[in-house]
Amino acid sequence: MVDKILAEYGAVVLDRNAKRLVVQVDDKQLRPLAEKLFESGFYYANGVGVDERGLGHDFAMYHVFASEKDKLYLVVKVSTSNLKLPSITPVIPGSNWAEREAMDMLGLEFEGHPEPERLILPDDWPKGVYPLRKEFDYNERPEFVERKPESTPQRTDVVQLPLGPYHPALHEPEYFEIHVDGEVITDAKYRGFHIHRGMEKLAEGRLTLNQVPFLAERICGICGFTHSIAYCQAVADAAGLDWPERAKYIGVILLEIERLHSHLLWVGVVFHLLGFDSGFMHMWRIREKVMDIAEALTGNRKTYGLVLIGGMRRDIDESRKNWVLKTLTELREETERVSKDIFGMKELINRIKGIGVLPKEDARALGVLGPVARASGIDTDVRRDHPYLAYDKLDFKVPVYPEGDVLARLLVRYDEIIESFRLLEQALSEMPQGDVMIEDYTIPSGRVGLGATEAPRGEDVHFVITGVESKVYRWHPRAPTYNNLPSVPIMLRGNNIADAPIIIASIDPCFSCTDHVAIVRKGKVIWKGPLGEGVKQVGR
Amino acid sequence: MGRFGLIFKSIAKGRVTEKYPFAPIELPEGFRGKPEIDPEKCIGCGACATVCPPSAIQIHVDEEQGYKTIDLFLGRCIFCARCEEVCPAEAIRLTKEFELAAASEEDLHQVVKLKMAKCAGCGRPFDTVRHLQFIAEKLPEEQKPMLALCPDCRAKLASKILTVAARRHR
Ligand code: SF4
Ligand code: SF4
Repeated sequence: MVDKILAEYGAVVLDRNAKRLVVQVDDKQLRPLAEKLFESGFYYANGVGVDERGLGHDFAMYHVFASEKDKLYLVVKVSTSNLKLPSITPVIPGSNWAEREAMDMLGLEFEGHPEPERLILPDDWPKGVYPLRKEFDYNERPEFVERKPESTPQRTDVVQLPLGPYHPALHEPEYFEIHVDGEVITDAKYRGFHIHRGMEKLAEGRLTLNQVPFLAERICGICGFTHSIAYCQAVADAAGLDWPERAKYIGVILLEIERLHSHLLWVGVVFHLLGFDSGFMHMWRIREKVMDIAEALTGNRKTYGLVLIGGMRRDIDESRKNWVLKTLTELREETERVSKDIFGMKELINRIKGIGVLPKEDARALGVLGPVARASGIDTDVRRDHPYLAYDKLDFKVPVYPEGDVLARLLVRYDEIIESFRLLEQALSEMPQGDVMIEDYTIPSGRVGLGATEAPRGEDVHFVITGVESKVYRWHPRAPTYNNLPSVPIMLRGNNIADAPIIIASIDPCFSCTDHVAIVRKGKVIWKGPLGEGVKQVGR
Repeated sequence: MGRFGLIFKSIAKGRVTEKYPFAPIELPEGFRGKPEIDPEKCIGCGACATVCPPSAIQIHVDEEQGYKTIDLFLGRCIFCARCEEVCPAEAIRLTKEFELAAASEEDLHQVVKLKMAKCAGCGRPFDTVRHLQFIAEKLPEEQKPMLALCPDCRAKLASKILTVAARRHR
């Protein structure tokens, strides 16, 4: 089916394997092709601008589309010699941020973009300096320009309520400006990217291929390991490496341990936000044992540091297997027992039922991912749709709830906790013997690779172009909150102000991963320009 | 059962918080704590510095004094154990120690200073004595003299030998 569409728009196949396809199209064909792909079930997964002058080409934009139905990642490349490209945001809203990111970082121009404003670079960053161009050194510090203070006009018709820049529960910098009419939220704006860390530049400029996994693991303070796996899978994809079976099972075990502790942490935080601290304590009591398992298996509670391009650095100690299995069984029973008591508390359930609703259509247009998508009736899971590691050999269910409210998001994650226990039991008992690492490999340069994993918060997509001398030419990780955050303003509208913290927390946001400003209403961008301007627009 | 179930659970479980720091904490085998370099064993090969992702280990060469220093700065270390993995002399290893608070930054540096050998050709210090000894143990007897030369002089000598051999061949 895809091939037919691609042929129709004159796409040239550059590289293909069973899981992903790289094609190049003419810039005139890009927008109609993107529209067609969106109509036939693809969502927008990642967008990467690349300065390809070092490879003997021009500048290029790689749009990555994904389809659960076709079980395929489709990488569409468009080149430009004059920095101008057509924007596809008018046909796929999900590409909004990715295009603006390429604008900021590389100086590409997207014609027809509804909101061509800065996203990532701060206001005091000089114009015309593009950090991801190759001539910009990783340790260069440009002269900052004077920043004009924003005059935020006070509105008299609505009350503007700032939430942030630190979230009361998540201790991370984000800023929501909430407009309320009485108790009811009429609109919300998000502003972020306060903590962009320039990781891509660091990786391209200073690190070697096998050092990047350790940086990738630090993208997130909770689910970092899945990033390091996604990166290594991307390089392995570019070089055509296939890990030993045992390494794949170890990967699954650690990823599911990570999901368990991440979900248990989130459930705890949600209870805490609801003022239900004993539930919070119980969840974190259980989680602590999961951390112990991680520590025993990897040498650390959180940063496992176990993966390199060729596979796993260390094997799992077989003598600990029985202890791990026994502990997991106990923890599962404990989780089920405690949760039964908690779900039996009607006041708690009624508190989160029917609030923060995200309709399915909005979710899809924005490319919402992971548990947030599954709670809005979208049946998606990278582990099942684009199997990696050993997931194709394991049996698990993908929970989907159609309600789209905070309760549904809780239930999805609860079901996933139970499924993770099942996956762990299977993987630990079925794990084959053998090597855990391939030592002998060469990485060809100038090759495109894609790695995708189902992180606890949704799909992580890492895009890599290999370079010379054991370096990455380009690395672009995309964390799930990048896609999920734009849906929060939709969830907030029409709800009571008292529900805002729990609604924001319900996407399990991770700002340091995302760090990126968008104002979206019903999937459409309603505002362009600085925040102060945006405030003026609302209510018109 | 609802909330009463939870109350019973809490009573049954009692206190679960660890007594740390008033009691020691149990750490599993293989825990990755502070790395330590054994100055007796380190040969100054620099392999650890090459792999170290955050450049916590840096090598400095003092040509005038003829010393090479291996400087491990714990303030940058991410406890990944890559250094331990590549060290050919088993000189650096990760310990179980994790309490790293220090009163001054200097206390977070471990410095190993090793004497360098001078090149028999140009007289420039080019490698640590220990590293050369380490390589010498693995080399066949006839190649050992080459170790007295720095890489530049070695290359010059090699090309000289080749030219001589080529002339003879003619
Ligand atoms: S443990 Fe890792 S970060 Fe620390 S010194 Fe060794 S290689 Fe460097
Ligand atoms: S011997 Fe070990 S510790 Fe010393 S420089 Fe080499 S790798 Fe580093």
